Amino acid sequence: MLSSIARPFQPLLTVRATDPEDARRRKLLNILLVGVMIITLIALAVISVSALIGVAGEPWEVMLLFGMAVGALVGVAVIFAINRYRAGWIASALFLILLTAVITFGDDAREVVAGRSLFMFAIPITMASVLIRPYASFIMAGVTAVLISAIAISINIIPNTPAILSFVILALVAWLSARSLEHALNDLRVINHELDQRVAQRTQDLSEALSREQAESGKNQAILESIADGVIVFDNRGKAIVANASAALLMGHSLDEILHNDIQTLMAKDVDEADRDITIKLLRDESQRTPSFKFRWREKTLSVSFATVRGATGIIGNVMVCRDFTREAELDRMKSAFLSMTSHELRTPLNAILGYTDMLQEEVYGSLTSEQSGTLRRITANTSRMLGMVNNLLDQAQIEAGKLSIHVEPFAIENLIDDLRSVTTVLAENKGLELTSTIEPDVPTMLASDSQRLHQILLNLVGNAVKFTQKGAVGVRVFLPDANHWALAVSDTGAGIPSEAQSYIFEPFRQVDDPITRNNIGSGLGLSIVKQLTHLLGGDIHLESQVGQGSTFTVILPLVPIQEAETA
Amino acid sequence: MITNKLALIIEDDFDASMIFATALSKAGFETEVVGDGAAAVTRLETITPALILLDLHLPRVVGTEILAGIRANERFNNTRVIVTTADSRMGESVRAQADLVLLKPTTFSQVRDLSARLVQGVRKTPTAKLENPS
Repeated sequence: MLSSIARPFQPLLTVRATDPEDARRRKLLNILLVGVMIITLIALAVISVSALIGVAGEPWEVMLLFGMAVGALVGVAVIFAINRYRAGWIASALFLILLTAVITFGDDAREVVAGRSLFMFAIPITMASVLIRPYASFIMAGVTAVLISAIAISINIIPNTPAILSFVILALVAWLSARSLEHALNDLRVINHELDQRVAQRTQDLSEALSREQAESGKNQAILESIADGVIVFDNRGKAIVANASAALLMGHSLDEILHNDIQTLMAKDVDEADRDITIKLLRDESQRTPSFKFRWREKTLSVSFATVRGATGIIGNVMVCRDFTREAELDRMKSAFLSMTSHELRTPLNAILGYTDMLQEEVYGSLTSEQSGTLRRITANTSRMLGMVNNLLDQAQIEAGKLSIHVEPFAIENLIDDLRSVTTVLAENKGLELTSTIEPDVPTMLASDSQRLHQILLNLVGNAVKFTQKGAVGVRVFLPDANHWALAVSDTGAGIPSEAQSYIFEPFRQVDDPITRNNIGSGLGLSIVKQLTHLLGGDIHLESQVGQGSTFTVILPLVPIQEAETA
Repeated sequence: MITNKLALIIEDDFDASMIFATALSKAGFETEVVGDGAAAVTRLETITPALILLDLHLPRVVGTEILAGIRANERFNNTRVIVTTADSRMGESVRAQADLVLLKPTTFSQVRDLSARLVQGVRKTPTAKLENPS
């Protein structure tokens, strides 16, 4: 209550000073001056009222009292001004002098040195230590002692020695108290200062950390936003906590719609159920994850992949990265369509040419001269070669597109070899080569594999062997290299393959760079397809060859139990 | 050679049907060609050929359906069916229903010789693997 009244006067009471102690003392003096002023004003009022009602005694007494009160007010004002604009200690000293004077002359001299007013001197002594300096109480006590001694002597009284001594003791007590107070205040000030500094330092650190943090998160956000792929981070409860603009664009949702929603809600209307189930499974179960999963999201095809986000405290959540795969999916579809179109459209006319040529050769339209018959044979041979190349190119494309499937079924090995002989014997005989085939007795009658692909492998290997052999024989051998495998070996007595070429002849479009083989035009795909088909069948291919001695290609395949193949 | 036996060629490719027709007539058949599945089904309602040469890849009605229809009808108990296809897997799937499966490219002489043998009474043998390599 009081403090709230005093608050508007605070600026009036406060004196600016560099020394906090000085400021404190000067403010204290101001408060005392205000107190004195109020008392003086009350006194003035009392005097005026007393004079008016005629109880104040003689007029000169009233005039004296009035003059003293006004003098006190003027003194207070002067001291206030000095305190405010000059030195605090001068103002305090003047105030104490005035106070002492009031005490000294405010009563009868006898009462002052030995009576009721004597102990009034304790007030300026105590105040001196607080207002000027702690030690000022001693000066004040000294001044008081001299003053009362002088007055006592002037009125023939022995100065009151115990009183003077007690003033000295009071000065000592006041000095000690004031000093302790000053020390305590000083300590408090030091502590406050340190505290202020610490707070300032901490504030500075915090603001720096905050701006650093802001810069860092701004950088991360900028990186995230610049990624063309959609990125969404889901927390452990499956809610989206981070997403970038690309994600919003790809999914056709706003960022707000994505954030705080789970994947199920996000996909609800835009993705069909089967794809949705797979995506949810991939997100939740780390062990189920494949490198990428493609599905339709509205009119787009997305390719998504998932990764677990691990922090210092464990798994934070999962990140889903989605890429617009629409264009690639369209290209893929076009490639498939192109492949199936060409495989039909390229083969059909070639088959027709072979058929018509066969008709002519069979003399459906009359007998042929040997020249005509020879020409037709050349047409057949070239068309067959072209058909073979077309087949190889399509097979290669299918293998590359991952569209070539394998069907493991039981088959009779004898049938496979018979089929092969029925096609290749003519080729070999045309070149004057002998074609031999052996099935070792320990090879099971029935084997499990993809007989269609095996036929393709053998046809390529035997076709090559015949093509590159000028004289001698081509042999096919089926045997068991160990308990878990069976093997097909195709050997020839041809030119052989130089060791430096052995490393690359299985690569697509590579052939042995040799003047002799230049005549043997081909796509250079045969061995590459053989190798890839062998791998698809779970097997491997080996080559042994010496230049001038011939070559042996061995295809080693796993022995699959028949029952297993049938149930597969 | 048996004459006047009817062979129906169900094949959409003109060249292939020409070659098959020539081959079958050389083998002693009277030949008739239909170019699509629906026409073949209609035609088979009125005729009972001794031999049907069926391409599995047909417009409108697929070859496998026609084959199943033939096998379900007692009228065709004595009709031999030769299936031609470029797809070995499909050929394999109908091997039990067909008397013979020929993998394309099917040559003129193959059709001529095999069809004659088939209708002359050579029993259907499941192990007969006569497909031609690609």
